[in-house]
Amino acid sequence: MKMKKALALGLSTAMAAGMLAGCGSSDSSSASSAAAETAAESTEAAAETTASGDEKVLNFGCQMYSDGNIDPLHDTNGAWNLMRYGIGECLFKFDDSMNPQPWLAEDATTEDNITWVVQLKEGIKFSDGCDMTATKVAQSLQTMLDRGPDGSSTPERFLPYETEITADDDANTVTIVLPSANFNLKGNLCYPVAAIVDVDDTEDYMSGTIGTGPYMVENFEDQVGYTMVANENYYEEVPYDKVEIIYMGDASAKAMALQSGQVDLVENITNVSDLQKLEEDENYTVDIASGVRCGFAWMNFNGVLGNDTLRQAILMGIDYQTICESNTIGGLYTAGFSVLPSTLDYGYDNLTNPYEYDPEGAAKLLDDADIVDTDGDGIRELDGENINLTAVSYENRLLNDFMDAQTQYLTDLGIGITPSYGSSDDQWSSLVAGEYDFNQNNWTTVGNGDPTEYLSNWYSKAASNYCGYESEDYDKAYEALMEESDLEKRAELIQEMQQILVDDAAVLVDGYYNSSMISSNKVANAHIHTADYYWITTEITPAE
Amino acid sequence: MKKQNFFLRNKQFTIFLILACLIILAAIFAPFITHGIDPTEGNLKDAIMPPSGEHIFGTDKLGRDIFARVIYGARTSLTATFSLVMLIFFVGGMLGIIAGYFGGIVDTVIMRIADMMLAFPGLVLALAVAGVMGANMRNAVIAIALVSWTKYARLSRSLVLKIRNRDYVSAAIVTGSKTPYMIWRYMIPNAIPTLIITAATDIGGMMLELAALSFLGFGAVPPTPEWGLMLSEGRAYMQSAPWLMIFPGLAIFVTVVVFNMLGDSVRDILDPKNE
Repeated sequence: MKMKKALALGLSTAMAAGMLAGCGSSDSSSASSAAAETAAESTEAAAETTASGDEKVLNFGCQMYSDGNIDPLHDTNGAWNLMRYGIGECLFKFDDSMNPQPWLAEDATTEDNITWVVQLKEGIKFSDGCDMTATKVAQSLQTMLDRGPDGSSTPERFLPYETEITADDDANTVTIVLPSANFNLKGNLCYPVAAIVDVDDTEDYMSGTIGTGPYMVENFEDQVGYTMVANENYYEEVPYDKVEIIYMGDASAKAMALQSGQVDLVENITNVSDLQKLEEDENYTVDIASGVRCGFAWMNFNGVLGNDTLRQAILMGIDYQTICESNTIGGLYTAGFSVLPSTLDYGYDNLTNPYEYDPEGAAKLLDDADIVDTDGDGIRELDGENINLTAVSYENRLLNDFMDAQTQYLTDLGIGITPSYGSSDDQWSSLVAGEYDFNQNNWTTVGNGDPTEYLSNWYSKAASNYCGYESEDYDKAYEALMEESDLEKRAELIQEMQQILVDDAAVLVDGYYNSSMISSNKVANAHIHTADYYWITTEITPAE
Repeated sequence: MKKQNFFLRNKQFTIFLILACLIILAAIFAPFITHGIDPTEGNLKDAIMPPSGEHIFGTDKLGRDIFARVIYGARTSLTATFSLVMLIFFVGGMLGIIAGYFGGIVDTVIMRIADMMLAFPGLVLALAVAGVMGANMRNAVIAIALVSWTKYARLSRSLVLKIRNRDYVSAAIVTGSKTPYMIWRYMIPNAIPTLIITAATDIGGMMLELAALSFLGFGAVPPTPEWGLMLSEGRAYMQSAPWLMIFPGLAIFVTVVVFNMLGDSVRDILDPKNE
């Protein structure tokens, strides 16, 4: 007996030592994997035990982006997936007014917007049981910069490659020294690409990234989804024992899966009629948030749409209010004419739109500019050729419906449209190659809480200016915005830039997308946040 | 005994012929039937309205009249289907006759190509072809024709082979008949009746395949009124606005049934066993 006890004691001591070594350094990969296996086994055993009792399971239906990878540096969707599934967390998080709030960090202080000291919260652990120390956080941020060039997440947009990051474990702080001043570092650290990951112990970034979130991956099935279990080391109570993430791309499929009880919670049913039906049914709760996404079509200035009068007439010929309020779109978009959503604090109400819907005015504008139909085929001609615009769109957040509706209005105006509906890859490649007249997108406007990066889309020197728009005034304002840190002055500049784009009829704005989260009566507190990085959170609980 | 009128004798044929003619007439006189309503024009303020006195089949997501779109859809569907069937009838039939008549290397080349085509599931290959060529109705017709001609080629080849070595054929060749004459005079007439029956029974199936391509986004492009495309557009509203799918679905159902039954009747009439 004594021998057995001694052996058991010896084994457990060895195992404990292994676990400690696993959280210590990257040299002990074998020990850490043994610890991870042990942890996984105990989790499985726990799951089996609770499965026979009252295991709390949340079945969540959602769209699959980038094959469901959860590597924050492989691509942007991977980073978003990590955060949306409740696996990874950042140092700060956006509240519903897009202001950074503490998450894994208490606060970040700076005097010159160059050197930032981030004070971390105490007692946070990764899902594998390792402490989230200042060293671990610094390692995670450094890895983000080191691995950045290998993927397409472009983390340098949020933390430049030249940044110096140092850790002080005693003070539990991380010091970040930026190469140039940035007043919005906290906002940048909210972006999912900056999620804090246990770099030492993560072996499979694509589907096994270890974060600090309330849930951790138990199993991943390609094209099907994830099975996730509660992170026992989470700093708060985790409401569900298990979360099943089930991929479903089709809006109707999501609605029907919810109605049949296959899932308890779905995100973004982009189908107004299904959404309305669920809203009317007391067994379901629909939460819609005015988001920060803008649906818009790029207008290619290097093609026929380089003609100012034509663009102005196009904007005047489309009734964007009626489209957004129709039974087809209604409720999922808020109408607007500027590239930044009216809900944001960038002076939408002070903007004036010289191209409000006026079909007669639009026709007169074209007639006066001698853009008329001379051969009687119903299509106006420009420089002796029929106007036939290539409109590229793809199935995402009702963009095709917008394109259909706009086509209808423009056909009435005598402008020919050839729609081209393809995949998101088709849309993206045609945008980059400049092979389009209209190109439909739905973009997050303030990804890091600030629209500077988004507004670079129309800055003539930016790589992301895919439409060939050039305006000296806009460029000047954009350059001033890059330098300005005073929030009020920034807001003024941003308003000025919006007005320039509106006056130049530079963008065909669809409207501002409202995200949604729909839950059955088994689920309580399912809320869609303004920043749609947060889907599975500890707020979502089983209904009483 | 007085010989009965052909149409009275073949009642099923007569009924379905009349129905088929009605469908074709509806397509031809679409503007009269719909009182000049443009199937591509709508008002978003009237989007997704249930059937009413003003719009008897309701309206779709762009406020277009579904009745007008269903009637005009007959034009698109029938034109495409008839073009497709004619194309595979002539191309497939001729290739089979040539293969059967000449034999040897010509036969081997044509029939091995046909075998290759048969190795793939028809609609899947058509999807790939239509995907590469780009979505429109003409390409959809070409895509389905590429995978469907083999049936006609194999059929006509076997019919030609049946008579190719008959004495009267050899006699005709020996007496100096030229190849085009041989094909025109002996081979084609021998293959034509069976090919016609096949074509008649194929109309329904081909219409469904074209609708399937359009449904999947590889055929008609918006705003063309086409039944498959209308089904696809209405699919998202299946629960809340079923009329978006019911009416184009019914149109496909009725038309396919009518042309299938008409094809069956033609087969019955031409079948020698019924003589």
